[in-house]
Amino acid sequence: MDIIKVEHLCKEFSYYKKETGLQGSLKNLFHREILTKEAVRNVSFAVEKGEIVGLLGPNGAGKTTTLKMLSGILFPTSGNAVIDGFIPWERKNEFKRRFSIVMGQKNQLWWDLPASDSFYLNKCIYDIDDAAYRKTVEELSELLDVRELMNVQVRRLSLGERMKMEILAALIHRPQILFLDELTIGLDIISQQKIRDFLQYYNEQTKTTVILTSHYMRDIEALCRRAVIISHGQLVYDGELSKINHLMGDKKLLTLKGIGEIPAEKLAAFGRVREKKGAETVLEVPKDKLRETASAILSTLHVEDFTVTEVPLEESIALIFKKEVDSL
Amino acid sequence: MGSFFEDKKGDMSKYGAGRTFLSNVAAAAKRYLHLLHVFARFSLMSQLEYRANFVAGVAVETGWMLIKLLYVAVIYRAGINIGVLTPDHIMLFIGLYVLMTGFYMLYYGNFTSLSTMVREGQLDMYLVKPMSTQFLVTLRRLDFSLLLPDFVVGAVMVGIGWRRAGLPSDFGTVAGFLFLFMCSCLLTYSLFLIPHLLCFWIVSTRGITDMTAALWDFNNMPQMIYGRWMQRIGTFILPIFVITNFPGLFLMGELSDGMMIWAVAAPILAFVIARLVWKRALRSYTSASS
Repeated sequence: MDIIKVEHLCKEFSYYKKETGLQGSLKNLFHREILTKEAVRNVSFAVEKGEIVGLLGPNGAGKTTTLKMLSGILFPTSGNAVIDGFIPWERKNEFKRRFSIVMGQKNQLWWDLPASDSFYLNKCIYDIDDAAYRKTVEELSELLDVRELMNVQVRRLSLGERMKMEILAALIHRPQILFLDELTIGLDIISQQKIRDFLQYYNEQTKTTVILTSHYMRDIEALCRRAVIISHGQLVYDGELSKINHLMGDKKLLTLKGIGEIPAEKLAAFGRVREKKGAETVLEVPKDKLRETASAILSTLHVEDFTVTEVPLEESIALIFKKEVDSL
Repeated sequence: MGSFFEDKKGDMSKYGAGRTFLSNVAAAAKRYLHLLHVFARFSLMSQLEYRANFVAGVAVETGWMLIKLLYVAVIYRAGINIGVLTPDHIMLFIGLYVLMTGFYMLYYGNFTSLSTMVREGQLDMYLVKPMSTQFLVTLRRLDFSLLLPDFVVGAVMVGIGWRRAGLPSDFGTVAGFLFLFMCSCLLTYSLFLIPHLLCFWIVSTRGITDMTAALWDFNNMPQMIYGRWMQRIGTFILPIFVITNFPGLFLMGELSDGMMIWAVAAPILAFVIARLVWKRALRSYTSASS
């Protein structure tokens, strides 16, 4: 059952051109050339209850604008969206109780007070009864490993700790839908991993529907089976994450170690040489020719070790972006 | 009781269904009063984190207030009467202005920060909360360092002026005065919020902020010192004189029935306009890039 249904969503922003320097500023004082930017163009997709969907795209693609429209922060220029029976930009309180949005670059916690105070404020705003509130804070603080930090002022927390507190604050009212925008931005690898683990567990346990954006492919690979890719405001891919490589030509990477100095032309006969660093060479070969290429290499070259890996997802996605730009 | 994960349910019945209109209003009022109490507590706690800044805030506001007290000292020394107003009446009016300034300053910081919130997209996190965004944005931070000196001195000035001028202090008069004072609080909030809402369209509103501050200071003396046309404009077009003059005029028995109605109608009208502009402004909100 679709809990989120987005149809032909568009968002235009108007802005004005500003030439550099004082002359440009003075010119602007009398006349401003108004321009329009189409941040989101005709985006349609649907999300089933309990699904985690990765919303991907380069900077300025329209991911955050889409999330802001879905959470009712922005009004669309045209198009429709229905989330759990509600139109987001009508901003009904009943709707607001059903979702949460966490943005890596914005915070809702009171800076000078311990996070527990902000949790209490959310308890009052969402009208949660005492027992449910206590239980939620207790369990989530345990899972996020922040129990010892509950009485530390937010300004004294590290970025990772603060982000965990932001997540906890967003989950106090047990939302059915979560929008996560660049949640792990700026975090170290361990903090990223912990937050990913938590989200995975939380989704498994509560069947909360999640749409997340992230520039870290590890977040996406660990959490999402499905990706919606937006480039220049347009939807360019909506499907399983595992099929993206297939879409881009189904290639595999063969990393050969200890093959010594072999001319590039000789190696090119086995596949495209992607990288040659010291004794390590990475070859790109078609997936259906992997077996015969590997046995040919092993029978003709002296190889100490070799590994087979997928083409990194980032590269395939980057290719999708590039294809889209070229077709514009 | 099961674990949080087992206990997840979307019970929305307590938010409206099966309730009468009046009990819904009463429940909402109770909830918002409680939220205001939490905002006040958190604001005070936040301010007390920086003790030196809090004390400096009190000192600066006390300084401003002492300047206002100089007016009173000059008036007493010179024995000036303004129309029917004796120096005691003037003390009452200036006391009302000081008192109202305290209440205005309590939430004033929220108005001035509105422009930054719009420019930097900070409104995002407030728009998704299931409560009145206007209430949350305009009353979430309360500045007690500004309220404290104005409230104490203003209340004392009103008390002294009231007594020395020999004005009635029966239950009806006190209740009427308090009612008009509350109307004035609502009028102040609504009237001075509207100009700040322009930031949704023009983004930076420093000029407007300065202008509203200048308008507010028109009330630091009774309206009678201004000409007739000025008084009419300040009462009906831009009803700033209603704020501090009407409760005082009521005590003096100088407020006609028509003006009594206007004293109640003006705040309601201003609040409705502020509400409409707020709603329109939120539609124009474009957030900021992340």
